[in-house]
Order: sequence, then C-alpha cells, then structure tokens
Amino acid sequence: MASSPTMRLVKDELYGFAKSKVMIVLWVILPILAIAGYFLFSYLLSLNEEPGTVQDPQAPKMSVSVFLSGLLSSIAGSVAAILVAVDIVSERQRKVFELIVIRPVRREVIVWSKFIAVFVTVWLACVISTSFGIVVDFIRGTDITAGAVWDLVKALAQCGGVIALATGGGVAVGVISRSILVAVCIVWFGSQNLTLLPMLPIYFGLAPEYFWVFQAASVALAFALVWLAGWGFRRSQF
Amino acid sequence: MTTPVLELKGVSKSFYGQKVLSDVTFSISPGEVFGYIGPNGAGKSTTLKILAGLITQYDGSVTIAGTDVKREPARAHALIGFMPQACGFQNWRTVESALDSLGDLSGVPADTRKRRIAELLERFKLADARTKKVKDLSGGMTQKLGLIQALLHEPRLLVLDEPLEGLDPPSRQLLKDVIRERSNAGTTVLFSSHILSDVENVADRVGILNQGQVESTGSIRDLTRMFDLPTEIDVDFSSPPGDTSFLAAAGKAVERKPGEWRVTLAGKPAPDAVDEVIHALVERTLAGGGRLRKIAVTEPGLDDLFAHYINRSEHGARHGQ
Repeated sequence: MASSPTMRLVKDELYGFAKSKVMIVLWVILPILAIAGYFLFSYLLSLNEEPGTVQDPQAPKMSVSVFLSGLLSSIAGSVAAILVAVDIVSERQRKVFELIVIRPVRREVIVWSKFIAVFVTVWLACVISTSFGIVVDFIRGTDITAGAVWDLVKALAQCGGVIALATGGGVAVGVISRSILVAVCIVWFGSQNLTLLPMLPIYFGLAPEYFWVFQAASVALAFALVWLAGWGFRRSQF
Repeated sequence: MTTPVLELKGVSKSFYGQKVLSDVTFSISPGEVFGYIGPNGAGKSTTLKILAGLITQYDGSVTIAGTDVKREPARAHALIGFMPQACGFQNWRTVESALDSLGDLSGVPADTRKRRIAELLERFKLADARTKKVKDLSGGMTQKLGLIQALLHEPRLLVLDEPLEGLDPPSRQLLKDVIRERSNAGTTVLFSSHILSDVENVADRVGILNQGQVESTGSIRDLTRMFDLPTEIDVDFSSPPGDTSFLAAAGKAVERKPGEWRVTLAGKPAPDAVDEVIHALVERTLAGGGRLRKIAVTEPGLDDLFAHYINRSEHGARHGQ
C-alpha cells in the first residue's frame, strides 16, 4: 500500500535534513566546539582573577550543560530559519517542487513537512548538545540536582519555542523569496526580532507567567506563519 | 465519437500584462500521440505547465478524462504523468530513492513500485546507476530519470516537455520507441519538441503554436495539403537531353548544378499527378536522347509546414496584421 503523502514527505524531509552537512555540524562538531569554548572561557576568566584571592566554594558556577543550552538557544533559531529558508528557495530554483506539485499531494503539505523536519532536527541537536553537557558535568563531578535538571528541561522547551517560531519565519521567507541571498538577509535580520514577539505580552505586563506565555505565543505564531506560508505556496505559480 | 482524454478550451494566460497564450483550444483522443510544436517563446511550456497543474491561474478550462484540472487537481494529477523540461531532484537522493518517493506520492503501492522501478531502470539502461546520487548523473541520464518518474504510475495522459532535448541518438530512438509502445497500450501522449524530424516520426497529429495561439491541429499530411505546400521533384541527368524546356512545363524548374534540376509542383497536386509528371519526365528525357541518374520526390514535411507558419506570421507582423 502507498503511504500517506504527508507521512512520506515528512519522513523524506527528516531523512534529508538529518543527513545534511549542516546537521552533522550541529549534532557533532558544535557540542565539541562549545565544550572546548566553555573550558577556554573558564581558563580565560581564571587568568583575570587577582592573585591570592580565595574562591568562595558556595558561589554559583555555570555548568557545561547550562552554558551549552544558553549558547544553543541563542543560535538555534537563526540556524533553523536560515536552513529552512535556503532549502526552500534552492529547491524551488532547482525545480524540485515541480515533480511533487504535479502529484496528488496538497501543496501546503510540502511546506509543513519542511517545517516539521527542520524543527525536529534542530531541536534534537539542542537536546543532544545539552545531554552531552550533562555527561561532561557528571564526569567533572558537578552536583546535578533535580532543580537543575528541571531548569534544563524548561530551557530546552523554551529553545523549542524559539526554534519553532524561527523555523516558521524561515518557511514564510523561503516561500516568498526568489533569491537565496535575499532570503538569508531577511531571515538574519528578522529572526532575532521575531523571537521577541512572544515576549511582548510579558513586557507590557499583560501576562506575568513568562515560561508558559512565551511557549504558547511562540507555538501559536509559528503555526500562523507556516499556515500563511502554506497558503502562499498553494497559490504559487511554477 | 470518443471522449477526448485531454481538452483545452479557450485557455489564455498573461504574465505581467503580456499575453502568452490566447484562446488555446484543442483536444486529444485516447491513445493518440500529439506533437506540440512552435518557435521559442511561443508558449508551449506554459500550456504544458497549465495542464500539469503547475500554473493554476489562467482563463479557460482544461479537462483530463473529464476531470477539470482547476476544480479537482488531485484527481487530475493522478491521471497525468508529466516530465518537465528540466527535472530537479533533491541532491541527497539516489536514483532509486527519488523514484520510490515520487512513486509513493503518486499512490503506487510499495510492491508494484519496486517492480516497476526495476523494470523501467532496466528499459532505460539506468539499472547500474540505481544507487548513484542523482546529482552525479549526466544531463541525459537525468532526462531519462525525468521520463521514468512520469511513467511510474502508468498515467492515462503522458505530457512531455521537450523530452528529446539533450539525449544522444540511441536514447532518442529509445524514447520514441517507448512513446509508441505506450500509445499502443492506450496511453495518450502529448509532447513538445524543437526536433521536427522526431515529431514527424512519432506524432499522429501535431498542434502548431505560434505567438500564443494554436494555429492548426491535424495530421502532418492533412495540414500540408491544407496549405498547398509545394512538392519537389529532383531530377539528376547523367547525360541531359538536348532540350530541357519540358521541365519548365511540369512546374517551376531550376537548375541547381549542371545536370541537376529541381522541379517544384505548385499548389495541391492530386495523388496521381506526381506519377504523371514523373512518367512524362522519363519519357521526354529518353526521347530527347538523355539519360537519367536519379528522380526523387520530396513531399512537404513538418519542417516546411513549420517554416510556412513562421513566415506567414512574420509577414503578418511586418504588415501590421
């Protein structure tokens, strides 16, 4: 039996992105570089300390996992947005979509499959990196409390919200843009500002609970952007 | 009367205010091979993209086996196999995975898909490239892959945009054979091409598109008769007769080289009129003491027909018609 077109496209896109060079960098090289960066950063800080000063053992120290999750959440959104926008524009230029659009497949499914694939692969990269950080922390003997783990889970969930929103923006830019350079420029400047949108209710004091409001607003905005992109893609002329 | 597999009625399309297609109307019967020809920029690819569902904003109607392409795109897409002028595949895919995915999206069950992919790769001599990345294929191989993806789900209507472009002679012959086989099996084929000799070999009927309008459709023979295109008789003498004035009496005679004449029969000669002219030429040559080396009759072909249309439209444009 033939599988559902949606499932087939999502599966294919996941496979394609997972095998891409960008993802290999995100999954393997980035965590290694980040950990190396963490130790270099710690070393540089220790050089600046006054000789003879005694460190307070009770003073909070940043763990590798926290450092990694912070680093990833700051770049993951931009990476996801650029990745998906460039992929859509490039496939359109190479006429890849034509062979899919001529088949009995709803056009917006193509856009949703791109969104799902990029979101899952980039978020998975963040989870892998953070897990890698926890392992390093464990080896170094850092105390891993239940509270610290919960904070990391929340950070990862928040990172997921940022990635979803940025990916949604990237999909929308990819659908409307005809040039890779234009898409990258729009995404580069836009994705940072886009991730600020879910924070607006908090800034204006409309919603005090930061985490849940941010998550809900990010997901809602991401879905709205992909829905709009799907609508635009359905009307596209090839 | 049989219901046409493809019917275009009054299809018009403009890009940025410029009319590309104007009231295009024609239909194709089941099992027919239809050659769609026209000069560059005439609107051939635009027509094919409309009926493949790639261009959805146009005036007029397109139906495939009674299914309106605009109203029921999914149903229409299941009936059509389309090979675009340039086929793009995702870079990471192998030949087999690209075909498997596209076959699946066309609704071909997994076991049938596996069998058909193997058969078609074998038929198109791509079996050895099965595990190759698509990006590593040559232009001709990618072109063949484009055709295979169009054939995978055994569509009722096969639409090929310049399928012979970029193929070597054996591959062109193979493609023509496949088109004929499909047609014999009941598939309707519509293809565009610049290579008129190939169209002439394969097509049952042709449609000539010029400046966004389908000027004529019909068999090549019918169209050449319709437009009174001249028949040429080449006469080569090994020893010319003393008097060659009888050549001019047969038609417009020009000596192309010493002893080599071309007689052009104007108008629409009756089938046996050409026979009579040849008979008279032989008789008068022998009577005049001459000897013949060759007599060759060239009936008007698609090239002549195409040139006739182009000249006519250029003439019309010059005179503001």
